[in-house]
Amino acid sequence: MLRERGWELSLLAVLLVFPLAVQDAYFRHLMILVLLWVTIGTGWNLLAGYTGQVSFGTAAFFGVGAYTAGLLAHHLEISAWWGLLLGGPLAVLVGFPFGWISFPLRGAYFALGSLALGEIMRLLATVWESLTEGMVGILIMQTFVSKVPYYYLALGLALASILVMELVTRSRLGYYFVSIREDQDAAASIGIDTTRYKMVSLSLHAFLTGTAGALYMNYMGFIDPQVVFSLSDISIMAILVVIVGGVGTIMGPVVGAFVMVAVQEIFRSGGFGGLKALTQAVGGGFLPVLTKYITQAHVLAFGVLVVVVIMTLPNGIVGDWSRIKRALRRG
Amino acid sequence: MTGFGKKLALILGSLLLLGAGAGAALAADSIKVGVVLPLTGSQAKFGEIEKNSFMLALEEINAAGGVNGKKIELVMEDDTGKPDVGRSAIEKLITQDQVSVVTGGYSSSVTFAMAAVAQQRKVPFVVVTGSDDKITEQKWNYVFRINPPASEYPKALGSFLTEVVKPQSVVILYENTNFGQSSSKAFVKDCEDMGLKILMKEGYEAGAVDFKPLLTKVKAANPDLIYMVSYVMDASLLMRQAKELDINPKLFVGGGAGFTLPEFVKNAGPAAEFVFSATLWTETVPFPGAREYVKKYADKFKEETEYHGAEAYAGMYVVADALKRAKAVEPDAVREALAATDLMTAFGPVKFISYDKKTQQNSLPTYLVQWQKGELETVWPKELATKPAVYPVPKWSER
Repeated sequence: MLRERGWELSLLAVLLVFPLAVQDAYFRHLMILVLLWVTIGTGWNLLAGYTGQVSFGTAAFFGVGAYTAGLLAHHLEISAWWGLLLGGPLAVLVGFPFGWISFPLRGAYFALGSLALGEIMRLLATVWESLTEGMVGILIMQTFVSKVPYYYLALGLALASILVMELVTRSRLGYYFVSIREDQDAAASIGIDTTRYKMVSLSLHAFLTGTAGALYMNYMGFIDPQVVFSLSDISIMAILVVIVGGVGTIMGPVVGAFVMVAVQEIFRSGGFGGLKALTQAVGGGFLPVLTKYITQAHVLAFGVLVVVVIMTLPNGIVGDWSRIKRALRRG
Repeated sequence: MTGFGKKLALILGSLLLLGAGAGAALAADSIKVGVVLPLTGSQAKFGEIEKNSFMLALEEINAAGGVNGKKIELVMEDDTGKPDVGRSAIEKLITQDQVSVVTGGYSSSVTFAMAAVAQQRKVPFVVVTGSDDKITEQKWNYVFRINPPASEYPKALGSFLTEVVKPQSVVILYENTNFGQSSSKAFVKDCEDMGLKILMKEGYEAGAVDFKPLLTKVKAANPDLIYMVSYVMDASLLMRQAKELDINPKLFVGGGAGFTLPEFVKNAGPAAEFVFSATLWTETVPFPGAREYVKKYADKFKEETEYHGAEAYAGMYVVADALKRAKAVEPDAVREALAATDLMTAFGPVKFISYDKKTQQNSLPTYLVQWQKGELETVWPKELATKPAVYPVPKWSER
């Protein structure tokens, strides 16, 4: 087992020593984001990748977790760290009525229901100003200036979510999930209570996402409805992380999170400013033009890249790993 | 190592080099100043105006000898209008580029999130636009703000209302954004102080496609004054539909933002006529360099600027002034120099003072403008007016 898990264990080793090796707060910050996305992606993967319930509502749970932490500090002056314990359960509570209403729906209809859930939560947080401060948002001061505690918390959470994934996929529960994904009617006919197990899957998803949201509040110190209930930046991003990494694979969200966060930032900052430096060093010609266009149109460039990855690697980077290896060997 | 492994290592290695090269290649004889603005996304238009204005001021400062013989170099970062990206950006500026001062800050939420980072990392941050009151109410001694807070935008409007219009009732419409919610809340307080009756206060989702249901309710309420906090497309549509529905209050007033932009009059057409708006700055303000700035901007970039640009233009001068006076180019020295700022700029006099709950906040007068024959005229305060206010405003049917 050790041999087949070789690269995963070495990745873990690298992640454990990362903050010791890299002192730069900026790169540490990016890694914290990567780890948060590992958790969120893993949660989505459990619900959509394994149980087949494609959700566009990840932001609802993320936001509930984040607001749980934020409101505790804002209204009750209780440390926002309690949100880390309460954010997950509260997200599950929101998930229950939603699941109860929408699990009789299938396929695209469930997806639409989840889309509505995310938007309802966003509007609620925007309009209910006396509770949430609306779009003014909630600001708390972070407990630590150093990023190291946040890093290890995010790493712990990411590891825990992967562990949950491992345990679930090896257990009977995992087979129930897959059977529901493959054919719900067949699953029901052999005696699996499909609504109940879909609810279990949704709760796990909500719990992981809500906890990640609470950690986000503690780390970022600022949230508003547009940030944490965002359709594009949270719900769609969660889907992209898993699709790029590999749907229905355990390591898919890990790879996807790294690729999405790192590549997005590389485009935004023009190779961490490297492109600009290169231009200054080499000077003239084609490079300055390229730099200018990439940095100005980084959102577009990033979008194109994601489209290309999805088109050439339909099973994601992990799912199509053997194909990538072959292509690189040949090249 | 397999052939594949080698290739992967090569790719990763070159990526790392690319990152490492960034720090080394920068010239040592310049002073780096960080600027964070929304250069993409929905606020990109204003980000662009501010970026151009920073560059315009930078050229002038460097051409005049820079700061104590050193040139200033701006490190621009795009916050894409999102608080978390803004946070990444300012973290990068502080730890990687090691700037000793950061400026910019467009939207309130992004500015708020960035200000917290600046305070925590003890690097001065000169806010030029982010207007949420709370930004300078945290006792953050590394955060300075040049522009007035959102609650003060309608200051000039207040005196115009009490001295000229004397309205009895008001309807407040605002977009559900940080700027909309916080400035409408502040205006409610102003109305209560003036003894105005608030008939209706309603938020809407920014970027709405139809305001008729909302405006029908407004018409039924029949207020003396309609106060709106909206960006440019919403502002235009609100006015066009108000004209269609023949809503005739004593006056329509915009709370800054969209109502003062050239695009507003282009989109709203005749419906923009006689609309008032609170504003922070116009080119006719009596500050040295204001008119020249507008002209230089138009010559260089072939388009019109507006008050956001003036804020950025002044911001660059404030930062350069502080760098000149600072004992050393390092954050604490620059912070001290900023705290002692007393500078006249094209945007107005800049001095960071404490009042009410605010600290290190610049205090400026605000203005009331009115669209007259497609031109934005300053109408209040009276001594600075370019044209007298057209009041009472004729009904739509009588124009």
